[in-house]
Amino acid sequence: MTVKNPLTPMEAEIIRVEEMTSIEKLFYLKLTDPQIIGEFHYNPGQFLEVSVPGVGEAPISICDAQREPGQLQLCIRKVGRVTNAIHRLKEGDRLWIRGPYGNGFPMKLMENHNLLLIAGGLGIAPLRSVLQHALLYRTNYGLITVMYGVRCYSMMLFREEFIRLFREGDKLNVKFLLAYEDESDTKCYQLACERSDRCMRGLVTRLIEAATITPDNTYAVICGPPVMYKFVVRELTQRGFTPTQIYMTMERRMKCGVGKCGHCITGSSNSIKYVCKDGPVFTYWDALKTKGLM
Amino acid sequence: MYKKLLKDDLENFIFILKKFGVVHAPVREAGRVYEFTELTDSKILQLNYTRTMIPPKKFFLKPKEQLYILNRREGFKEIVDDSKIVLLGVHACDINALNLLDRIYIDQFPDRYYKTRRENTIIIGVSCKPDEYCFCTSTNSSYALEGFDLFMHEIDDSYIIRIGSLKGFQIVCESENLLAEASSNDIKEFKRAEAERLKEFTLHLNVNGIQDILDASYDHPVWQENADICFGCGSCNLVCPTCRCYDTADFLNLDLKTGVRVRRWDSCMLKQHGLVAGGLNFRPTRVERLYNRFNCKMSLSEDSLNCVGCGRCTVYCPADINFVEVLKQVGED
Amino acid sequence: MKEPASENKPKIGVFSLTGCAGDQLMILNLEDTLIELLSKFEIKSFQEASSYSENIRLDIAFVEGSVSTEHDLEKLKEIRDKSSLLVAIGDCAVNGCVQAMRNSQTSIAERMLDVYGVEDNIYRALEPKGIGEYVRVDFEIPGCPVEKEEVFNTLISLLNGDPPLIPDYPVCVECKLNGYPCVIIEEGKPCLGPIITAGCDARCPSLGLDCVGCRGPIKGETNAKAELEALRKRGYPDKYIINRLRFFAGNFPDIRILGERKNSKGEK
Repeated sequence: MTVKNPLTPMEAEIIRVEEMTSIEKLFYLKLTDPQIIGEFHYNPGQFLEVSVPGVGEAPISICDAQREPGQLQLCIRKVGRVTNAIHRLKEGDRLWIRGPYGNGFPMKLMENHNLLLIAGGLGIAPLRSVLQHALLYRTNYGLITVMYGVRCYSMMLFREEFIRLFREGDKLNVKFLLAYEDESDTKCYQLACERSDRCMRGLVTRLIEAATITPDNTYAVICGPPVMYKFVVRELTQRGFTPTQIYMTMERRMKCGVGKCGHCITGSSNSIKYVCKDGPVFTYWDALKTKGLM
Repeated sequence: MYKKLLKDDLENFIFILKKFGVVHAPVREAGRVYEFTELTDSKILQLNYTRTMIPPKKFFLKPKEQLYILNRREGFKEIVDDSKIVLLGVHACDINALNLLDRIYIDQFPDRYYKTRRENTIIIGVSCKPDEYCFCTSTNSSYALEGFDLFMHEIDDSYIIRIGSLKGFQIVCESENLLAEASSNDIKEFKRAEAERLKEFTLHLNVNGIQDILDASYDHPVWQENADICFGCGSCNLVCPTCRCYDTADFLNLDLKTGVRVRRWDSCMLKQHGLVAGGLNFRPTRVERLYNRFNCKMSLSEDSLNCVGCGRCTVYCPADINFVEVLKQVGED
Repeated sequence: MKEPASENKPKIGVFSLTGCAGDQLMILNLEDTLIELLSKFEIKSFQEASSYSENIRLDIAFVEGSVSTEHDLEKLKEIRDKSSLLVAIGDCAVNGCVQAMRNSQTSIAERMLDVYGVEDNIYRALEPKGIGEYVRVDFEIPGCPVEKEEVFNTLISLLNGDPPLIPDYPVCVECKLNGYPCVIIEEGKPCLGPIITAGCDARCPSLGLDCVGCRGPIKGETNAKAELEALRKRGYPDKYIINRLRFFAGNFPDIRILGERKNSKGEK
């Protein structure tokens, strides 16, 4: 019998590790089995189950748009047993992955629209895959506005990449905005001096308040810590965004990724959702109908 | 194709079943509850049981099982158990519960372990009499139309046998000498017995629109009242034939290179169920978890409940929380 | 992977405060694997196994026993200062265990009088408490005594650099996973399983016995009132139930309030 076992992880080699902050690293992976490489496709917003044999498995969202076959990037924060173990790994070591899982962002649906990407903290990781995809197929999308909230400069992810966009994004029709919380952060302050309309102190909602954004022909995409959603959604709906114009990606402890283990079930009985297979990307409309989703 | 088996021939019939796999059936040893165990002697068989504490799902999704032998260098090698089993004496509610589990474990991303065991297991249903905790007629699961190989309906001194699958048909062929065609009188008797059985149900629950009723009753005081007496011990989930949550963990051996990946049943009533990395819990309180459990039981999908009315969660709750009573209170005021 | 050279092995110490040293005994009871397992560590101190040496920086300190005297407390603080990781092993270190049974019910002075015939606190005794009351504890292994398998898995996890996996669910889960009949429901026994930390694989219920709570209540998730209610309904008097709950968990806030004495004298 050669039945495929969806729980069996595939081997991937860590081809590069970048230290991004004191708690986050960027891992570049490459699948080792040439037979699988051809079949391995992922879309922005999808996630993987990542294993360290003997330690455990954890869901991690992919943070880039697929370019090379069998290659992908994961931005991993050290928060638990598995992610701590991943952080101990180096270039040339192995990780074991399965997936990709989840619906991902509706990149097709969002074509010919402006994109408004709003992220807080680690939430930028899955949104980076949307951004990269849109840049890869630049002519398919309108203006891209990124609003990124960080605690301070040293906690900013993908720093070089984003500062380049902050400064030179206009060439690509990308507006990159940054909000920072830490008052004493001189580096962010310098950025604010450079472009006071693009970098400000405060939460990410501050950027929405300060900018002139309209819902016309636009999709908003949100990812961040759970507390952020409510406030961002309020700002957007006040500006006329409809519940189906707002996409958000959710976090749960998805143990299996394939709709079985039950850890990501949410909602009340007239709308039960599995974050792993119905999501992790939902519209605000889904969230309104599904109790406890947001 | 309805067959008839005399009760006197049951032992011989079981002898034939053994050719198809190791026969497991409801028995109750001294000091124990009814449980499906290997039938070593047909004299200990108790086909007239009320309910087993642990439902037959334990044969397909094991309470605890090793999924993989793991090796830090070589990865994961699956452990597949392909033993053949015959489950004799499964009630209609439990068969319907397995059908619901199939939708989760087979329909999409089929679970290798569950599916293999499901394919390797023959299920022989048996008719039953309700007790005061049974409400399967309310959940439309008091009769099994699919999900079994044979189904035995007790009438007087014999069983009328329905054939539910090709495998069931093979068993019937093998047992040719023991089985007779059911006569029109037998069929009449079978229908009469079924009608009689329906009259014996005393517990009923109106599930019409219950999904919306639950959604609208988030603030109902019954949740807090029950959360106050609830232990959050997970017993209700673990004895439920349709609860299917699991958790996994890796264990390393002394060499720190090899080990196993295991999974075990989990429960949404346990505190860590809604926990995510970093310590945030999406259902930190017992009242939220209780509300969630009832909602999950009343909806598998738009078209289906996730409860078969077996009564186990009420019978085996150490805090005496009554599932049907709670839902009635929610629905009535 | 090579076997780590001696200097790279984690330096560990095992220490006893007030208790029966039964948890150390359980470590020694890992006979089959003990030698190989311990060879992966550099043992700097093991009171039960060999002599006691101090003044060495430790990677991991395992502490058993409760803080029951000023001396315990001094020793504990010193251990904490010298160790990168501190692991509480056994109920005494986790929560005070049986020594704490009468906490908040009788004063130290009363106990001195009862036992030694003097009211003076000649042994500089403190109300017995778990070590987490005084210092930061990294991991806790419950049990009276601890389970061998859990100790083994904890040591393996720590060797590998991972936090150990300790159950945070009740004994009921293990009864159900094993199919053991519920002794509360079937026999009306005063089982504490619904609120007690699993990890023993429901050893007592497997023998038809009611759980006495030797692994302690689950932290942050114990409905002691419900246990009182469930056992009351089965005819047990409050005093019996409360004593039973206090036996291993006198320091547990939810249980403590059930048995608090109204007019406590001489309590600090």
